[in-house]
Amino acid sequence: MKNKINYMERRMSRQYLLLVLPGFIIFTIGLIVPLFMAVRYSFTSWDGMSPEKLYVGFRNYIDLFQDSEFRDAWWFTLKFTIGNTIIQNVAALLFAVALDSGIKAQKLYRTIFFIPCLISALVVGFIWLKMFSNVLPAINDFLGTSFHFLLFGQKETVLSGLLIANNWQWIGYWMLIYLAGLQSIPAELYEAAKIDGAGAVKRFFHVTIPMLAPAITICVVGITTGSLKVYDLLVSSTKGGPGRASTSMIYQTYTTAINGRQYGYGCAMSVTLVLALLLVALIQVKSLKKREVQA
Amino acid sequence: MSLNRKKKKEEDMSNQKPYTKGTFTVQAIMTVAAVFFIAPIFIILNYSFKGKKELYLSSPLSLPESLNFENYMKAYKKLDLATTFTNTLIYTAVSVFILAILCGTTAWAIARCKRKFFKFCYIYFIVGILIPYQALFLPIYMIGYRMNMTNTRFGIIFMYVATGISFGVFLMNSFMSTVPLELEESARIDGCSVFKTYFKVVLPLLKPAMATLIIMQSFQIWNDYLLASLYVSKKQLKTLTVAIHSLFSAQSSDYTTAMAAIVISVLPIAILFLSLQKYFIKGMTVGAVKG
Repeated sequence: MKNKINYMERRMSRQYLLLVLPGFIIFTIGLIVPLFMAVRYSFTSWDGMSPEKLYVGFRNYIDLFQDSEFRDAWWFTLKFTIGNTIIQNVAALLFAVALDSGIKAQKLYRTIFFIPCLISALVVGFIWLKMFSNVLPAINDFLGTSFHFLLFGQKETVLSGLLIANNWQWIGYWMLIYLAGLQSIPAELYEAAKIDGAGAVKRFFHVTIPMLAPAITICVVGITTGSLKVYDLLVSSTKGGPGRASTSMIYQTYTTAINGRQYGYGCAMSVTLVLALLLVALIQVKSLKKREVQA
Repeated sequence: MSLNRKKKKEEDMSNQKPYTKGTFTVQAIMTVAAVFFIAPIFIILNYSFKGKKELYLSSPLSLPESLNFENYMKAYKKLDLATTFTNTLIYTAVSVFILAILCGTTAWAIARCKRKFFKFCYIYFIVGILIPYQALFLPIYMIGYRMNMTNTRFGIIFMYVATGISFGVFLMNSFMSTVPLELEESARIDGCSVFKTYFKVVLPLLKPAMATLIIMQSFQIWNDYLLASLYVSKKQLKTLTVAIHSLFSAQSSDYTTAMAAIVISVLPIAILFLSLQKYFIKGMTVGAVKG
């Protein structure tokens, strides 16, 4: 009898294994092997064509430290990421609270805010390029006003222009997650807080925010990783310019490796980005999870 | 049935908050926000019907003089739509179909089998969420080139599956607690194999999860530019986004054609979203609450 159960269990776990393996193998070839390839090639000076890959040790990483273009790309990517994480989280949360406050036609608003994120980032970039350069100035003429709309044209304003485009695209998506979180908070908690004499603001900070902790974790991590990888948005709007004012990490890696034929050096750039992504995610998940437990 | 109705009633009750002056103010503010959000989309639609002359002479907000589809015809030709649309549709449909099957089975096996390897798998797949494929585009291109997968349909579909799978597994995994174990056990006692249990018992219960997965992956793959531009350079294999990008660079002054192209590219995904929206919202709710 015991033997039979053992046999059954073994057969079952073998079947479970068969279910996992295809995905496991595809994922390994498609993402994990490239991860190790990036590390390996980052120690070479490979140009992408020649058969021999010269081992150069930490040369590429030392060069990166002295590369001002690389530093600028990181600086832009960080500014873009921090701006997005703050604006998108706050706006998405406020929108969700507003939609959950009992207003009429909630579903219609939800759909309207969500629609932009169905559009490709490449297209979003072009839409806002045309909005800033043609449509909004034309409205200026029409109304007789003179707002400065050419945000992509100057180094100082290109970041805010891109933030507008990116937030327009993604606020609705994160709002949906916050909305789902809000709707799962039991009404009794609010009642109890009300009886204890807590005002609307106090209830928001002492009931809503702590109860939303899991949704906040998802949104913060999602927005950060999503912003660090920005590329498609830039290709059709600013092309990394004016000058190099909006060149992101991936954009810089692309120009260096694919156009400049420096695969080894490009791989070293990729490795720094991967390390940054892992580090940020680790810190965020740890500190946010801690808050979840306390709440 | 009665239970369902009762549940629905409760939901209605909880949604009934008093409509005060404050609510009215919030409604007004959100209406203004919604107008700002929808304005660019209105302007795109508007421009897509305008002639070249109207582009310079009329205000961007005024409606086109007549509904002419000339821009759409031009966009159709310039995008080589017959080819690019079919390609994108094939890549998206096949990848999403494979992902729907693989993510469901993988997530279920990980959730049900308690062996160490499966626990490891969960963490293994999470790595793919923390490192988006864009960060590794260079080695992903290199491995594709080395394995002769660039410029093939197989190659790009393989990569879409590989880069989408971790998110899918994570998503499906958060739904597994909604599947009652008793059903699976009774199926097993009736002599169902693991495979049969999954396809006969578990899969039908995962409909909202599958809808969420299908929408999320579809619009990611349909809209992808980086991977498509790296993997495909042959004309007959090009995707819509790649074609749109070259159209954007060619048509930057007469952008009415570009606007028509945008409408064409967004339409299929918008239709998919609107038709599956009900399940999608439900799916997002479960996923977000579970964390």
